[in-house]
Amino acid sequence: MRERLSYYIKRDSALHRLNPLTKIILTLGILLVSLISPGYWTAHALLIFAIVPLSFLGRIWREFFSSAIRLIIPAAGFIFLMQAFFQPLGETVIFKFWVLDVTQESLAFAFRISTRITVMISAFTLFLLTTHPSELMSDLTRRGLPGQFAYVIISSLQILPQMQSKARTIISAQRSRGLDTESTFLCRVGSIVPLVGPLVFGSLVEVEERAIAIEARGFTSTHVKTSLHEIADTKFDKTLRWVLLALVILSLVWKIWQL
Amino acid sequence: MAIVNLQNVTYKYPLTQTAVLQNINLQVNEGEFVAVIGPNGAGKSTLCYAIAGFVPHFFKGEMSGTVEVAGVESAKSSLSEWVLNVGLAFQNPFNQISGAKYTVFEELAFGLENIGVPRDEMPERVERAMRLTGISALADRSPYSLSGGQQQRVALASILVMQPKVLVLDEPTSQMDPIGTREVFGVIRTLAENGMTVILVEHKVEWIAEFAGRVIALHDGQILMEGKPAEVLTSDALAEKGFGISRYTSTARAARTAGLWKKANLPVTLDEAAEGFAK
Amino acid sequence: MFEKMKKDFTTMTWVLIPVAIAINIAVGQIVVLLKLPVYLDSIGTVLVGIICGPWAGALTGALSNTIWGLFNPDSLPWWPVAFFIGLVAGLCANAGWFKSWPKVILSGFLIALTAAIVSTPISVYLYGGITASGSSFITAYLLQTGQGVLSAVLSTGFLVEPVDKITTAMLAFAIVQGLSKRLLARFPRPENAEVEQGSSSSQLVTALIVAVVVIALGFFVRNMLAG
Ligand SMILES: Nc1ncnc2c1ncn2[C@@H]1O[C@H](COP(=O)(O)OP(=O)(O)OP(=O)(O)O)[C@@H](O)[C@H]1O
Ligand SMILES: [Mg+2]
Repeated sequence: MRERLSYYIKRDSALHRLNPLTKIILTLGILLVSLISPGYWTAHALLIFAIVPLSFLGRIWREFFSSAIRLIIPAAGFIFLMQAFFQPLGETVIFKFWVLDVTQESLAFAFRISTRITVMISAFTLFLLTTHPSELMSDLTRRGLPGQFAYVIISSLQILPQMQSKARTIISAQRSRGLDTESTFLCRVGSIVPLVGPLVFGSLVEVEERAIAIEARGFTSTHVKTSLHEIADTKFDKTLRWVLLALVILSLVWKIWQL
Repeated sequence: MAIVNLQNVTYKYPLTQTAVLQNINLQVNEGEFVAVIGPNGAGKSTLCYAIAGFVPHFFKGEMSGTVEVAGVESAKSSLSEWVLNVGLAFQNPFNQISGAKYTVFEELAFGLENIGVPRDEMPERVERAMRLTGISALADRSPYSLSGGQQQRVALASILVMQPKVLVLDEPTSQMDPIGTREVFGVIRTLAENGMTVILVEHKVEWIAEFAGRVIALHDGQILMEGKPAEVLTSDALAEKGFGISRYTSTARAARTAGLWKKANLPVTLDEAAEGFAK
Repeated sequence: MFEKMKKDFTTMTWVLIPVAIAINIAVGQIVVLLKLPVYLDSIGTVLVGIICGPWAGALTGALSNTIWGLFNPDSLPWWPVAFFIGLVAGLCANAGWFKSWPKVILSGFLIALTAAIVSTPISVYLYGGITASGSSFITAYLLQTGQGVLSAVLSTGFLVEPVDKITTAMLAFAIVQGLSKRLLARFPRPENAEVEQGSSSSQLVTALIVAVVVIALGFFVRNMLAG
């Protein structure tokens, strides 16, 4: 069970200083262009000429590569193998494995899909490494996202690790009472209720008090919310956002052109 | 001039038959420190909710009579406006952490952000509340990483920063160890000295004797007795009805039956008991 | 409609959503640990759908996938599926289909159909049908037998989803029944969780039988599509 939910690395860099919304749009822009553009090499190009340089610009390339390897190798590697073996594409068989053919076409397809996955994951990793969640949510709230969303996102991020450690406690407690969570299928099915029950009910009972506590602090106030932190939004940010939007539209046009 | 004014308040939770508060009349003056005692299920928390506006706004149910703070009636206001009049803190410190913030400083500012306090006023208000509750050193810590007593002081500060006219505290130390209890009462003492109007529900009578100007004894949703701590906390009638009383009071009462306690009044605190037995 | 939607988003709802998201993920991880052939990663979403309405359920689902995506990036693109799971669960609950075991199974089945249908275009467009999930072995098999991608992915969905979503719906129902009336009354739609008279253990048994039949039917449908 992984539970490092804050990837953020505090550092002073041009990427860190970008406005959070600009960084979201940068991430989504890279993602959309790689998905929409019909060019075979677009995703690869984005990876090499956008994402990797950005990781240096953000001065987090070391952390970026280590988490990228941790997250991407299993995800993209698995997809690559699945695609290479199972996509029934093409005729040019490169080698045979049991009843499965690995063709040149299925390899090419596998390479493309796994690069897309790599782009997706690494763009998000880059975003998460350089953007603090509360900065992001303050900025979005200031731009008109209802304040409750900030509450939901950040408290999810904080409750989840608590819930996971509670789950671990419950699992070891029930095991030491003799609950069988490992042997036969039926035993494992039977252990769901004693594991999930305490976890779920315990946390649901707290909901009422926690609602009272945030009500007591004006959660439903109809005043326009303000924010403790001021988050910069420069001219450069605004220009960059328009450029990114233009790039997405351009790749859409390219796609339609090809149809 | 009473700042809190409850007139004939009767209240029933939804789905229930019996009234949990029955015909409550209560006036609290500005700057007064009132303690509320009562056995389990007496309706102490419900009374707190009624003053803090959660009854009936949050809990719904049927309420009759009026709750007024500073001349405004709660039923005619909205809960989000009402919390600016009355601040509420309660037992479980963990559940009072909003979860929406990463540091204590931001946690305190959460309420200010919600009610639209301008940014440049925030740091000063937050720092004042932190000083008052002695948590200035914790400003950059995560609220979840603190001890129970520290978390409860953060909860108090998060309410104080909203600058309510009245503070309602529902057993703020019932889940604290002795150290946490002392920390929290330290804050309560500061508040009392600063002239805050406080309504405190508390089982630990020795502490009540130290702070409260007046004690209200609640039983089955009704006010059974009301008066100076020394009278109410040592009353024979309350001891019979299952109210929590100080062990010094019960010891001295037993001693009185045996003819060993000579003073007219029973003691509440260790000091009073020691003094009485010394005579 | 907007006003109605707003009424479902009370403070209780906003506090419940993060808890439900954490339940989704924590339970999903427990199930992985137990090596069971289901996901059970939307119990919280269905729960919110039942007691806070379809839109709250949908929001829970979408956010849940996004947050799970932080440490399991594979789950990111599937947020529309989770969105619709919450939405359909809420709609079923509004229709009164979370009040007895047989109805809960029907709801679970509808949720499963929705999930299968919504996930198909994502799977086909993003992954050419072969995703990182274990059920892709079935899709791969169907592809090898010469089926088209669309029908292979869809039949895999119809085959795999019912077991998972019916179990999810039943667990969510059991949880709702385990909550006190007092607590339920705080949420926007306690009436969705009022159990019908005579909902008993014999009904549960009948319901389980229906569930097995439904799943068998799933196999049948798949065979038809394959044939
Ligand atoms: N939400 C609710 N719905 C229905 N009844 C309730 C609710 N909350 C409390 N009650 C009932 O109201 C009565 C008074 O409860 P209350 O919590 O006010 O008592 P209390 O004096 O604070 O007790 P304690 O010392 O246990 O905190 C109890 O009988 C309780 O069961
Ligand atoms: Mg109480």
